[in-house]
Amino acid sequence: MTASAKKNQKRTRIRETGKDRVFNIINGIFWIIVLFIVLYPLWLILIASVSDPDAVLQARVLIWPVDFSLMGYDAVFQYKELWGSYLNSVFYTIVGSALSVVVTLACAYALSRPFAGKKLVSLGITFTMFFSGGLIPIFLNVRDLGLYDTRTIMILMNLVSVWNLMVARTYIQTTIPNELYEAAVMDGSDHFTYFFRCVLPLSGTIIAVLSVYYGVARWNDYFTGLVMLRNRSLYPLQLVLREILTSLTSTGSSDTFFAAYADNLGGLQEALRKAEVAKYCCIVVSTVPAVVLYVFMQKYFVKGVMIGSLKG
Amino acid sequence: MSQQSVSRPRASLRQRAARAVQRDWQLWALMLPALAFFIVFCYFPMYGVQIAFRDYKAARGITGSEWVGLKHFQKFFASYYCGRMFANTFLLNLFGLIFGFPIPILLAIMLNQLKSQRFKGFSQTAIYVPHFISTVVLAGMIYLFFSPTNGIINHLITASGGKSIYFIMEPGWFRPLFIGSDIWQNAGWNTILYIATLTGIDPQLYEAATIDGATRWDKIKHIDIPHLIPIAVMMLILNCGSLLSSNTDKALLLQTSGNMSKSDILGVYVYSVGIAGTKAQYSYASAIGLCLNVINFAIIMLVNAISRRMSDISLF
Repeated sequence: MTASAKKNQKRTRIRETGKDRVFNIINGIFWIIVLFIVLYPLWLILIASVSDPDAVLQARVLIWPVDFSLMGYDAVFQYKELWGSYLNSVFYTIVGSALSVVVTLACAYALSRPFAGKKLVSLGITFTMFFSGGLIPIFLNVRDLGLYDTRTIMILMNLVSVWNLMVARTYIQTTIPNELYEAAVMDGSDHFTYFFRCVLPLSGTIIAVLSVYYGVARWNDYFTGLVMLRNRSLYPLQLVLREILTSLTSTGSSDTFFAAYADNLGGLQEALRKAEVAKYCCIVVSTVPAVVLYVFMQKYFVKGVMIGSLKG
Repeated sequence: MSQQSVSRPRASLRQRAARAVQRDWQLWALMLPALAFFIVFCYFPMYGVQIAFRDYKAARGITGSEWVGLKHFQKFFASYYCGRMFANTFLLNLFGLIFGFPIPILLAIMLNQLKSQRFKGFSQTAIYVPHFISTVVLAGMIYLFFSPTNGIINHLITASGGKSIYFIMEPGWFRPLFIGSDIWQNAGWNTILYIATLTGIDPQLYEAATIDGATRWDKIKHIDIPHLIPIAVMMLILNCGSLLSSNTDKALLLQTSGNMSKSDILGVYVYSVGIAGTKAQYSYASAIGLCLNVINFAIIMLVNAISRRMSDISLF
């Protein structure tokens, strides 16, 4: 903080040359273009979701909502299957991420301490990052364990990410001084007490980082559900979204999805018309939780990620 | 003498083991859930990969099915699409690397040069946002924006006198869509490491350069870029290791009957043969997956060894 403040002071003291001013203007234009490319598609989705279907279909919605209406959201609220899957995803995400964070932290702490056999354990864990049995053996293994088509597998699959584990270990190693451990041992504490009483309370940042990482990954994952689930009532949100949004893919057209709600939405024609806007609404409704989580947590976690990545 | 050195550690080994257990059992208890996960969900499947060498029959299970040696591998390498799939997988990753790799570096350097702290913070926050969008939604956005009838892109094309293009069905557009959307989603996020490196540069260097009359461009050329090169080389090496890996989940979403000739990559093929097909060919699909994993593993090891020899930068 002080370093950058100093830098600013310096900049104002020495006047900028003409070349620098040209550079600054170019850089400003560069960033306006970048921000436009990044944000415009998102803005487009937002305004299309609250516009009239006909205006959206004719691509008249470009800068501001046209013929403001909430009929898309109205239609989305009718899609019972979507909300069922929404609840499933909330469950998978919250329970799964909480479990992931606890398991990862406990293991990361252990790996940050010296013990006999540590090299072997580290090697065994790292190895899974570079080699795996492959999709089919993983699938058959889950089926043999009797976990195919259950909620349990949606929680247990991808429980620990090696990358996150390494980030957490590095964080614990670099931010919690070893003297604290020595002092705690002096006072008669063992690993359990030290972990729960000292490490956990000092790990706020890394807990936030891990929660966002695991949470977003779980919320956005559709592939696990695609492979491991058959029962539609267990589907996570992304799997239902897939049917709604990518209608050209193999598993049936999205029109059948929308047609199922024709009775509540004023007939088939009307239901399909609304569906054009409803697709944008689905994107908004499904994406907002992840983005909001990121925006709220970003202060912590950009910092935390840097600690983890730089020294790891 | 040699006998002594062998027998001495052995005697104390048992003692040490006993002491280690007494001292470390709590650490093992803390690791237990994670280790159980890795064993059950990573190492069990590695044992199960033997079905690639057997003819899997559900009734007889993994270990009870008949050995067939390399039958499935031969079938795969003799198949008509094998070469095409390797080429598709490789080229998709190669073009992705060529176009995607430099952009985060450029973004990080330019971000570092922004004067207004507010604008800088806003830009940084904004370019990370697409990373948090799911693959399904990203694919959905492509379907919506590039739709031949209602998509905004085709409206712009026809409005300026061009002909509407059915992007998602055109084989030639598969890679541009795939890679372009990937850059849009991840280029911002991938700047993190470079930004962290730039923030770590001693401000005195910039001050000295300013006093010597260096322009901003000079500072980028002589301070920023030399500092970024080691980390960029490491990232490049890392990425080279994944030249044959597949983004199965995204490719699966963007694959249509029209763009198959460019979009059937190995990972998607394993899924469609082994899981999605009406008659799942578990052994055949496992064999393809195993091939792919072994090749990828070999590439990573090779790349790592080369980089360690050449630049002292290595993963492990």
